[in-house]
Amino acid sequence: MKRHIVKNVQDSILNKCSYRKNNGGLLSGLKYTCKDNIVTGNLSGGILTTASSNVLKNYQSPFNAEVVKLLYDSGAELSGKVNLDEFGMGSSGLNSAPGPTLNPIYPGKIAGGSSSGSAASVAADLCDFSIGSDTGGSIRLPASYCNVIGFKPTYGRISRWGLIPYAQTLDTIGILSKKIDTIKHVYSVLNMYDEKDPTSLPEELRKETPETNKERLIIGIPEEFILEDISIDVKNTFKQFILKLINLGHVVKTISITSIKKALPTYYTLATAEAASNLSRYDGTRYGSTNDYDKLDQNIIFRNRSEFFGKEVKRRIILGNYTLSSSSGDHYLKSTLLRKQLAKEFSKNFNNKHVLFQDEQFQDKCDLLISPTAMSKAPDYETFEKRESENILNSYINDVLTVPASLVGLPTISIPINGIGIQIMGQFGDDKLVLHTAEDVINNF
Amino acid sequence: MKYNPKYIFKCGLEIHTQLKTKYKLFSLSQTSFGDSPNTNVSFFDLGLPGTQPKLNTEALYLGLIASKILNCQIQPYSTFDRKHYFYPDQPLGYQITQFYHPLSKNGYLKLNEKFDGVDKTINIQQIQLEQDTGKKYNDKTIDYNRNGIPLIEVITDPDFENIDQVQSFVKKYQTLVTHMSVCAGTMETGAIRVDANISVNDNSRVEIKNLGSSGEIVDALKYEYNRQIEALENGRSIIQETRNWNGKTTESSRSKEDAVDYRYVPDSELPVIRIDESMSEDIGKELPELPDDILTRLTKSLELKYAKFLLNTPELLQYYDEFNHSDKNKWIFQELLGQFSKLDKQFDSNIIPPKTLQEIINLNCPLSEKRNVVREMILNPRPLSEIYKQDSPNINIDQLCNDIINKNQHLVAKLQIQPSVLQSLIGQAMKQTRGKIHANIIKGKFIELLKL
Repeated sequence: MKRHIVKNVQDSILNKCSYRKNNGGLLSGLKYTCKDNIVTGNLSGGILTTASSNVLKNYQSPFNAEVVKLLYDSGAELSGKVNLDEFGMGSSGLNSAPGPTLNPIYPGKIAGGSSSGSAASVAADLCDFSIGSDTGGSIRLPASYCNVIGFKPTYGRISRWGLIPYAQTLDTIGILSKKIDTIKHVYSVLNMYDEKDPTSLPEELRKETPETNKERLIIGIPEEFILEDISIDVKNTFKQFILKLINLGHVVKTISITSIKKALPTYYTLATAEAASNLSRYDGTRYGSTNDYDKLDQNIIFRNRSEFFGKEVKRRIILGNYTLSSSSGDHYLKSTLLRKQLAKEFSKNFNNKHVLFQDEQFQDKCDLLISPTAMSKAPDYETFEKRESENILNSYINDVLTVPASLVGLPTISIPINGIGIQIMGQFGDDKLVLHTAEDVINNF
Repeated sequence: MKYNPKYIFKCGLEIHTQLKTKYKLFSLSQTSFGDSPNTNVSFFDLGLPGTQPKLNTEALYLGLIASKILNCQIQPYSTFDRKHYFYPDQPLGYQITQFYHPLSKNGYLKLNEKFDGVDKTINIQQIQLEQDTGKKYNDKTIDYNRNGIPLIEVITDPDFENIDQVQSFVKKYQTLVTHMSVCAGTMETGAIRVDANISVNDNSRVEIKNLGSSGEIVDALKYEYNRQIEALENGRSIIQETRNWNGKTTESSRSKEDAVDYRYVPDSELPVIRIDESMSEDIGKELPELPDDILTRLTKSLELKYAKFLLNTPELLQYYDEFNHSDKNKWIFQELLGQFSKLDKQFDSNIIPPKTLQEIINLNCPLSEKRNVVREMILNPRPLSEIYKQDSPNINIDQLCNDIINKNQHLVAKLQIQPSVLQSLIGQAMKQTRGKIHANIIKGKFIELLKL
């Protein structure tokens, strides 16, 4: 790990730039940072898009991601591209070619990942908000470790055009900030259909999506999220949070979604398989880092990929290729089925209708679900690295609380309550209720 | 080709056909051919990070037409998959194709003795939509213009019992996809490429990749059939492998053991294609007349070779169908096409449209004169009215010219030794008709009457 070389916190977080127009738009006056797996066109100052990978060390995108364009049009200033776990793979912020992201508010602790620089830049007041991406918890986990708010909207709400895919059926662009108000404004700018993104939620479905609009909510706690390994301080804060909800007039009850237990293996099967496929294009022959060659053939591709991908990325590519190989069976298909089952089971626990399912309406169910975001507060480097070196799966287990909402595409926000991240999840498409409730709780805590 | 009765030939084909679309399968790059390298490429075609595919529905439509004309069942549910392998001409590291749920299945193409020289039904397993790859430009450069052009891959059953059947099938297939405007080119232009799987006596099959012409297919299959027989005769077994045709022999490129594992996975970026039965029926209804139907119709009054000639010359076929006359074969093949070829000119329906030919036939003048009009029009294209003044119906050219001949016997007598006096006769006729009839027509008439 190169973290000992890093001189200061700010350098570990971002590459500064300035990209804006003064138009008096909704977001003018606000500065934001952008995770470096979201492409930015030819900005002044030679700002590249690297995904924190040596593979894209010198990569200059010829176009802006849709989110960058929308934010530019609404007057926000892009003030830096921020560090991440290479291609979004990791939950620590340590798997980065330029070096780990340092936690600006808890020295010695990891920042969390993969949107490590996004959470850290918000926590360090380097911006008003940050744009990150969440595949299995990559916004919510670092938000929780850096004590900021992290919002992952419903899958398909924000255009992925220009987001470098890790696992495209899960990748979701989202927003981090200290202020819920800012998140709401930014979300209103980015929540747009984009014809360039084939998985963007079409206009008709956006209109058809019912929104919950009531004061007294029924809030469920899936018992599968109440894990023994959750630390005492997280448990205590979660209890206080529940009491606050009850004080605010909501009903809180325990429910069960048994498929959650299978979510983690399902997630790692799907995500690594998709990653192996998506990262096949990085061969150095058209763009990105390459060794010298006399002849364009497979050998140069193999040499480039062996040399320039980081360790964790290679690990996931190998895992994914194993899943996809003809000799391994049909794990990808099975995981897809488990994922569907999980989605159905989640949906059955909501009062609101899922816009993509033809199910009958359910009653006496929940409007929202809650759980802690992480098992504990940010661990320190030594503890994290020790656990990881004991067994690589230990770092994967970290994602157990965040992965289910990713698999199902639910709008989920992590809010900091006394230094602990708490997740609020809504029905597919019910983003406004999630944001509204988060605002309400934050203002009353 | 001699077949050894002890060794039964068996073959199946995979035919890759470029579709005649304006844009590529998943991007808005043009599909034009022969442009400078890397001028028709978009961000997606190069596999730039953060780009996504967008299905071109024109390609889908042509794929559906192809499915219909090959009598395939269009699937109500089809999807795209990624086929992974590393090669510099493959910018994504995978090809987007249809593996798990292809566009259509279970079709056939009937070859018949009368039109194709052989009676045989070849079954089609499936048709899938997919992307073409880039092309090597030089050792260090790939031309990505071809990358992403839509293809259909048509996979036949191993139904071919001899090379004649293969040849007839490929010929008929080319005529079909060209005639139906599914494909813009031919094998010769690289728009259609064939992989052939061949075995003898049900031993392991060998795949010969990338055959680019009908001649190559025949030569490669002949060679491979004999190679396999020779191997078996010498007690060697045939291994399942892929071979390339180098123009003279087939050479092994890889065997089953080192075959690439393509690691197929559904491409979740692309939507499911749902075609219900009524849509599929509608596509069937919109189809133009099929080649076999055209040949059947034409051969009622034409020899097969002329019928095939018309079928393969769409402009002429259209002309033939638009032109109505009791003696239309004579007029089109002898008079019209005969004149064009006599004058060494390319047939062009705009010079004498069917309606004009009709008018020429209806002119109140002898056949020889009509021929002259046709000839004049081809040589020097302009409206009929400028060549033959129809507004002077009282002028009987025969009589006029005969009168002039009679009155000028002294000039006629000189004609043998002084041919230029013909001009003087023509001049008189022109004067009398006040230029309403073209000099060439008058000239033709004098030549006819004076038997010059």
